[in-house]
Amino acid sequence: MSLLSIQDLHIGIAHKRGDDEIVRGVTIEVEAGEKLGIVGESGSGKTLTMLSVLRLLASPPLSVLSGRILFQDEDMLTFDDKRLRQVRGGEIAMVYQDPMSSLNPLLRIGSQLEETLRAHAMKGPSTKENVRDVLVQVGLTDPERVISSFPHQLSGGMVQRVMIAMALLTSPKVLIADEPTTALDVTIQRQILELVTSLQASTDMAVLWVTHDLGVVASLVDSVVVMYAGRVVEKASTYELFARPAHPYTKALLASLPHVESGHRSPLDQIGGTPPDPTRLGAGCPFRARCPYSVDQCHREEPPLIDRGDGSFAACWRDPDEW
Amino acid sequence: MVEVALQVREVSKVYTRRGASDVAALSDASLKLERGTTFGIVGESGCGKSTLARILVGLEAPTTGELFLNGSLIDLKSKARTSTLARDIQLVFQDPFSSLDPRMTVDKTLREVLHVHRLHSQDLVGRVTELLSMVGLSRRFADRYPHELSGGQAQRVAIARALAVEPKILVLDEPTSALDVSVRAEIINLLVAVQTELHLSYVFISHDLAMVRHVSDQIAVMYLGRVVECGPYDKVFDTRLHPYTKALGDAVVLPDPQREKARNAASSEPVQSALERVDRGCPYAPRCAYVQDRCREELPALDEKRPGHFAACHFPLVS
Repeated sequence: MSLLSIQDLHIGIAHKRGDDEIVRGVTIEVEAGEKLGIVGESGSGKTLTMLSVLRLLASPPLSVLSGRILFQDEDMLTFDDKRLRQVRGGEIAMVYQDPMSSLNPLLRIGSQLEETLRAHAMKGPSTKENVRDVLVQVGLTDPERVISSFPHQLSGGMVQRVMIAMALLTSPKVLIADEPTTALDVTIQRQILELVTSLQASTDMAVLWVTHDLGVVASLVDSVVVMYAGRVVEKASTYELFARPAHPYTKALLASLPHVESGHRSPLDQIGGTPPDPTRLGAGCPFRARCPYSVDQCHREEPPLIDRGDGSFAACWRDPDEW
Repeated sequence: MVEVALQVREVSKVYTRRGASDVAALSDASLKLERGTTFGIVGESGCGKSTLARILVGLEAPTTGELFLNGSLIDLKSKARTSTLARDIQLVFQDPFSSLDPRMTVDKTLREVLHVHRLHSQDLVGRVTELLSMVGLSRRFADRYPHELSGGQAQRVAIARALAVEPKILVLDEPTSALDVSVRAEIINLLVAVQTELHLSYVFISHDLAMVRHVSDQIAVMYLGRVVECGPYDKVFDTRLHPYTKALGDAVVLPDPQREKARNAASSEPVQSALERVDRGCPYAPRCAYVQDRCREELPALDEKRPGHFAACHFPLVS
């Protein structure tokens, strides 16, 4: 039994003429203590999948069409509001991409953190101490000053630490981090990644790290799920993914990065074309138009996620050895 | 013989605030851009790289300092500086969707530039088609609105708009940061190809060190408004003289799990988070792992430590 299990999730966007499916059968499982990376471009469905876990989809027009989201064997899609509030921000916490817009600009940091504890009925005589402890834990050396500050008085890196502190206050079992370092400078990004790694090692928290940055994935997570056009196209251990990508999209993404070894100003390996419109996929593999290895079958039939036997899965008809 | 397209000499920009101390966004920044080459600028937010970009295209007047374009001094105090500079220097912004007018078709966007710069005597339809083909787009994109374009296509249109006035220099402010990873490489390839074809000079501003290294001939590393290290791209990255350049390079997460694992085990040195401004001494001293007493007292000058390789540090890492 997995701690969190997303099973065959389908998400649709409503139109006058019916629903367009934009997440098309995603299955993702995480165990306690596991660090999983979810990689994809904008429009790949990675953020929608994560939002649906906490039932935060903007509905309408978005809605879960089918599938199950099991948290400790309970189907979250059947939770009533009370149970949902306990889980959301309690047992499953989320850190968002833009920390500044996730906090209330008119309230001091301290009262926003206390509000989290109050919402989860964890407020008590030691509340102030808990808040101070968790701020120290995320590396904010002057917690008293942070507690009495408004969000605009802190730097971007500090606010993101506050957001992580807020997520950790309730000792969640699952932390969902949606590109939390994208808006930050490289030195701060490195600190946040190291912070999450060290915090995670001292608890048994599962971390789902959503990102488009393969560097972040390489430094942080144990295994990776690659999403494209609303589906999982590859799933493998981090090492395996980088050493032997089994889907042409993953391979192309890795090849397009400039390496120290690649020639100065020499052309980078680019992926032709653009990501497909998820509402107009047509038949066949959604990557077919951009894929250098496509064969007839790719244009007729969409490949399922095929078990490659070594613990990795790829949605591709071709054998990587033939590329 | 090398020809200097643009020279910036000791440019500073101080913003005054009512009821608060002044902010020096840029202090004595100098750079020399040779014709047909790329000058890369790296640094974190608040390092002054965008202020410098705005000064280069005349959107902002520097407090002090001089700017030479093709060898002649530009009067940066005059109101006419924007139009003088704009003919030769064009800016491409980070996010094409916020720099393109959502209510204008691609055709209208390009025509507007030609009109503003009084270049409308020529065959407009032909010129628009030509500009689009320069950035690898076909004529059929002319009738599209920005929302009908992908991120990569929109950035191509923004580049075409910058090329419309036949500039000699492009200032590229994070031109790929807002794009999807799968289209970044094609925009970089396009920029390099256009540069070679039109013999353009680039100022390439980015926080993506690998990308800056890939495209630049010369690189300047900025910290709190000052250039702390500059020189040829390979020297700056392979022989880092300034501790900040080292910290920046070490912070980059590599797309290589094995090297990352080795590095995590080695545990990097602690860095403070806040950009703390100092009254005197080296601006990097509060964060520097190699700080000594002299650094807190005396501002290091940007000196040539090795041939062509400059650093502003009393105790460079490689002597």
